[in-house]
Amino acid sequence: MKVSRYSENSVTVYLGDDISEETNKKLVNLKKELEDQAHEGVTEIVISYTSLIVYFDVFKTSGEALEKVLGEIDLEALQGKPFEYRLVEIPVCYGGDYGPDLGRFEEDGLSPEDVIDMHSDTEYLVYMLGFMPGFPYLGGLDEKLFKARLDDPRTSIPAGSVGIGGKQTGMYPFTSPGGWNLLGRTPIPLFDEERDPQILYEAGDRIVFKSIDEAAYNKLEEQVASGEYEVNITMREAE
Amino acid sequence: MTFKVMNPGLFSTMQDAGRFHHQAYGFSPSGAMDYRAQKLVNKLLGNDENAAVLEMTLHGVTLEVLQDTVVATAGAEAKIFVDDETYAPGVPIRLIKGETLTIGKAEKGSRIYLGVAGGFDVPEVLGSRSTHTRSGIGGFRGRTLKPGDVLKSFDDAFQSHGKKIKSFEEDAVIRIIPGQQYENFDDEARKKLFGSEYEITKDSDRMGFRLSGPELNAGGGHDVLSEPTQLGSVQVPKNGQPIILLNDRQTAGGYARIATVALADIPKLVQKSPGETLTFEEIDVDAASGLYKEELVRIDSDEYFEPLTDFTSLRRKSALKISKLMGV
Repeated sequence: MKVSRYSENSVTVYLGDDISEETNKKLVNLKKELEDQAHEGVTEIVISYTSLIVYFDVFKTSGEALEKVLGEIDLEALQGKPFEYRLVEIPVCYGGDYGPDLGRFEEDGLSPEDVIDMHSDTEYLVYMLGFMPGFPYLGGLDEKLFKARLDDPRTSIPAGSVGIGGKQTGMYPFTSPGGWNLLGRTPIPLFDEERDPQILYEAGDRIVFKSIDEAAYNKLEEQVASGEYEVNITMREAE
Repeated sequence: MTFKVMNPGLFSTMQDAGRFHHQAYGFSPSGAMDYRAQKLVNKLLGNDENAAVLEMTLHGVTLEVLQDTVVATAGAEAKIFVDDETYAPGVPIRLIKGETLTIGKAEKGSRIYLGVAGGFDVPEVLGSRSTHTRSGIGGFRGRTLKPGDVLKSFDDAFQSHGKKIKSFEEDAVIRIIPGQQYENFDDEARKKLFGSEYEITKDSDRMGFRLSGPELNAGGGHDVLSEPTQLGSVQVPKNGQPIILLNDRQTAGGYARIATVALADIPKLVQKSPGETLTFEEIDVDAASGLYKEELVRIDSDEYFEPLTDFTSLRRKSALKISKLMGV
């Protein structure tokens, strides 16, 4: 564990050097422990691939005080605690207008059906969120589906688009420019101001894409428009 | 209904102190870039210091006044007109229904803040009234103002405390704390960083300031695994040109960070415009923490205020009535 300070109101903890499920679990455990200890003045904790940053109110606590708190936490003991996470099902209509790049995998010897089979019904770990609100950095993509970003990025990718960029798969919560290969789209809003939770997942949770047909997509889209839709979220406990 | 936008300026958005506690979900904090100006203008008007203000970049707005109220500006200094009369920045100005408020171009600094008694009434999203234009969240419909927009403010009876906001001091020396990947940069790069001038380029906005100057090469690598970004993170991509990340930044970034701008120096940094130059000075995190706390205490005290000696801007209503009675 390396603890450092790079700004007046934060302390950063590094728990590893590369992307691994184990490091992610350690970071999530440490975040939960800090939340449980509920230290006065801690305002926000943000996880990334290898680090965790603790923000604080400079008038309520200090960097030195939090460095001491972190130094006293027994990481090994935390690893033994039960670990709960959410499994969030994201329904996706693959291909057609929603997934214009599905056919591009033919050059790798994969039919659209192969790509859908490999991409859906797989649990992807949410390592962190960033880039835009609700954008998950997912791990667990099958190597055969690794695919370079488009040479000519699109100027506008619709919100809900699901795609692959290099070694990553993910989804766009907001309409934005981007160079990912688009496989499909979900009608479920990835950010919904009226919903609790407004973002469906956080670091340490898992996402599974479920293939749906266009009729199911349209039905869900209507339900979303009327504000009466449900998302399947299951609480799980890790071994 | 308090104002109708006649001219929206160049880039005008509603901002409060920022949208915190949601960075883990990827929400940029947004918020007024010059946090000092945003707090001072609210203090002057007797508002909650977190109330929403209108942030205008380089050029101000023209508003039709739909109901009597009191306003003031802070931050960058621009000419203020109420119909044909001119008023100074930093003083409370009483406005009367039917008048036109015009804020000119920034003559000193680059971001002008307009506060209104009671604060602007825009909905709270995730606990904040700040606009993040890139995701279309918060503030006035998640976007910059457009002609015809009607702005509301919360009801508030303004009481003058006989004060005005002092003119701010400009300074091009920005103190920076060694950053996450400081070790990736060798002595030569560090010498360049602390011994050269860097120009703010025109590709600078609320997301970040892109700088141009001597290249900073990271022998230890420019690309790192994505990590949380911070206000003032100075990241250096492969081209060696630093970028200072600001309020609307993405919450995660994968470029080596050589430094973090001291929070106490953020107000003077964000008042700089493209074309102006900066120099950097090293400061350690403990010294920077001391400065930041001192700055917050100063904002909370009366140090940035001075006595208001000319009350014309507040007596306008009675003066106007008298002139009408006299038929002048």
